[in-house]
Amino acid sequence: MTTKAKPRETAAKRPISITAVVDAVGALAAGDTQGHLYMYDTNRAGGSTGFGTEELRTRARRGDVLLWNCLALECEAYVSIENILIDPEVCEPVRKVYPGTDVSYWTGTVKKTGPEPVAYRIAFKLGTRDEPITATLSSSLVGQ
Amino acid sequence: MPQQLAIIVLVDVGNALATSTLEGNTYLFDNMKLHGSENQGTGELVTAIHGSYWSDGSQASEQVLNWLPYSLGSVPPTVPRGYEADRARQSDEEALAELHDLADRSSAAGADAAGELNRIRRKTGTRLKTTRRTSGRMSGAKILDVTGQVVAEDGTDAHSHPAPVITDIYGEAVDAKIMYPAEYGSPDMVTDGWYWSATVDTSRPGTYAYMMRVQLHKLAQVNGELRWEPVNLTYSSALKISSEPRRNAFTKAGVGPLPIPHTPPGQGA
Repeated sequence: MTTKAKPRETAAKRPISITAVVDAVGALAAGDTQGHLYMYDTNRAGGSTGFGTEELRTRARRGDVLLWNCLALECEAYVSIENILIDPEVCEPVRKVYPGTDVSYWTGTVKKTGPEPVAYRIAFKLGTRDEPITATLSSSLVGQ
Repeated sequence: MPQQLAIIVLVDVGNALATSTLEGNTYLFDNMKLHGSENQGTGELVTAIHGSYWSDGSQASEQVLNWLPYSLGSVPPTVPRGYEADRARQSDEEALAELHDLADRSSAAGADAAGELNRIRRKTGTRLKTTRRTSGRMSGAKILDVTGQVVAEDGTDAHSHPAPVITDIYGEAVDAKIMYPAEYGSPDMVTDGWYWSATVDTSRPGTYAYMMRVQLHKLAQVNGELRWEPVNLTYSSALKISSEPRRNAFTKAGVGPLPIPHTPPGQGA
């Protein structure tokens, strides 16, 4: 597969941000995320689909930088991403923090995409529960 | 006084600015799924509000709503309050320290002072121009990228959009005196101290639409200076007020009186 060099490749390209909105109270009460997780990204214009569901399909191609973060439905609740379970041959997200804070995000570069969507699942830390809760359903990266 | 309800207005600011509309770029949530709010996480949220009544049918209390506007894909609202200003100050302090260090080293042979100065200049980022009219929460701030780093003028492609600002709430629900919205100031952690709140008259069941005037900010270069240009858009949502009984998730008592003993504990027969 050949990818045409884009003129602004060296400039700071905007990552595709993927945001998980978590109803922490609902997920903690149920012990799983089903019905309590809403996924979004900033690439709707690029062809992403499944907004507001637990199965977001993010349109991404090789070289795209992805950034995952999360929001709690109740602003008092604690929610963070504990891990992102994805094929390391496609993307190896790493945890980082916004400078000067302990608020984290995960970021990684898409190494390859194929004809098939690549599914991944997010594990969340919610409230004061020690055990992370892994999303019941998978979101995915969809190539061109 | 019942629990206050929060309505999250999550806006894909980049796409909304690109297409000059909030339609299709706005996602609404409230924390009332249990009471039957519909279309959570979409643009078509209908917020369910149950009345609360005394046993004779008279209204017992109003409902309070709060709106929280967030920017999708930006530095999240969970970072400490005043984060942009903090980052601007931190980057200034780092640059001063590096300048100090450079001054010490520049007497040594072979130091590339010009190159070093250039690097420090890039690290200090770009301060936004604000006028007296546009100052306030953004004054003194620098442009941050979506990972919270200050960025130089040529690196603003990935800048973080400031959170949307609600500037008015109006429309049917307000005209019909169903809700009385106003902007309040408080030491609120997530909205920089300003938020819109409303008291809802729950005694008249029905579905009432309302409009929000939302201000987004677009990074624009004017006469060689970067500034945030306000872009005003509107979006509609609705409240569905019913006379259904409230449910109490804590006691799980369901419909009917709360499970309060007739006599205080320890004094029973």
